[in-house]
Amino acid sequence: MKIAGTYTLPFEQEKAYRSLQDPALLAKCMPGVESLEQVGDAQYAMKMKMVMATVSGSFDGKVTVADPHPFTEFRLIVEGSGKIGFMKGDGRLHLKPAADGTEVAYEGDVNVGGTIAAVGQRLIDTTAKMIIKKFFEKLVKEVRAA
Amino acid sequence: MIPVNFDYVSPSTLDDALGMLADGSAKALAGGMSLIPSMKLRLSAPEKIIDLGRITGLNSITEAEGGIRIGAMATHHEVESSRLLREKCPLLAEAASNIGDVQVRNMGTIGGSAAHADPAADYPASLLALEVKLRIRSASGERVVDAADFFVDTFTTALEPGELITEIHAPVEEPGTGVNYQKMVQPASGYAMVGVAVRIRRAGGKITFARVGVTGLSGKAYRAVHVENAITGRAGNPAEIQAAAALVGQDVESNSDIFASAEYRMEMARIYTARAIATALARTA
Repeated sequence: MKIAGTYTLPFEQEKAYRSLQDPALLAKCMPGVESLEQVGDAQYAMKMKMVMATVSGSFDGKVTVADPHPFTEFRLIVEGSGKIGFMKGDGRLHLKPAADGTEVAYEGDVNVGGTIAAVGQRLIDTTAKMIIKKFFEKLVKEVRAA
Repeated sequence: MIPVNFDYVSPSTLDDALGMLADGSAKALAGGMSLIPSMKLRLSAPEKIIDLGRITGLNSITEAEGGIRIGAMATHHEVESSRLLREKCPLLAEAASNIGDVQVRNMGTIGGSAAHADPAADYPASLLALEVKLRIRSASGERVVDAADFFVDTFTTALEPGELITEIHAPVEEPGTGVNYQKMVQPASGYAMVGVAVRIRRAGGKITFARVGVTGLSGKAYRAVHVENAITGRAGNPAEIQAAAALVGQDVESNSDIFASAEYRMEMARIYTARAIATALARTA
């Protein structure tokens, strides 16, 4: 499933770019992430627990940052699998200056499989959007507090 | 199809149930129409279930203080067949009659549906259009929340851990109010691909009041204020209805899934909004 959107971060571009690649910050801001550890060059192991309505499940996965063009663009790959299914997100984030900060435009593919996809097909799009929104909102809060 | 082991308790009073839910670790079971399938698929594995089904008095539907109080455990069937609601708040009865199938309507409850806040559930559109108030209790107190503040996001409500909805307060419709709920049904699940609830009043040839609640289109049910404003003050002829309905998706991001793309869903929302307004208007007489 394709997913795309924009979010304006109220920071200047370099700060926005660095924030989006700071593993400690990402771990704090991604909903459900319990740990994120660096395992290689721009590669991180992730444990997350998703709780959504009546569904809850743990995922083990990895996050990879690829193809970086400081401070304008990078590719982000998030993969995870657990008992209730698996997911993979692969997308590009483009950063450009905006009147009130930096506009982050994202576009990519989200694939979900297993039980969760078999019964939750109608909710994948909505859930993905909500997770992304929560992530950006938390990121703004955390960076401001830092 | 067999859930993970869990503890099961079925308290006979609300206070007992609230006490058991107070620490936030147990899961409350109302009609079980979403929770049980999810447990059977092992998508969820709560350690403890507090069944609210044996608490008496939580499903009553009564008139009080100019409104109607609907117990949170009233089933969809009880709502759709309530003479009081059919006469004085027909939108809710009509919405209930559109939910799922007979089995679901016999088991599922209005409080359970509201607390679950599925973005495609039928009730939220009407609860928003009716501007209901939800009475919420926990072991430590009670509060009342407006529908507009209750539905926060996809599967997210204003309920805190340990809280239960106990009652929903709906208005008694003024004479001359026309209502309608129009739904495009997902044929397999019975969920709303798009559902639109409308309440409307007309006086002296002009629409004086309009409320439009929408479900299924986006991540959460919402009130289509742009449609309400566009139709208010108009006579309500077909061209005006079309123009107002066209605004249903303004400021809203449309859902997309394998059954309906975002563009298709948005177009259907416009069509179903126009139908709901036209039908509600025809009922204002």
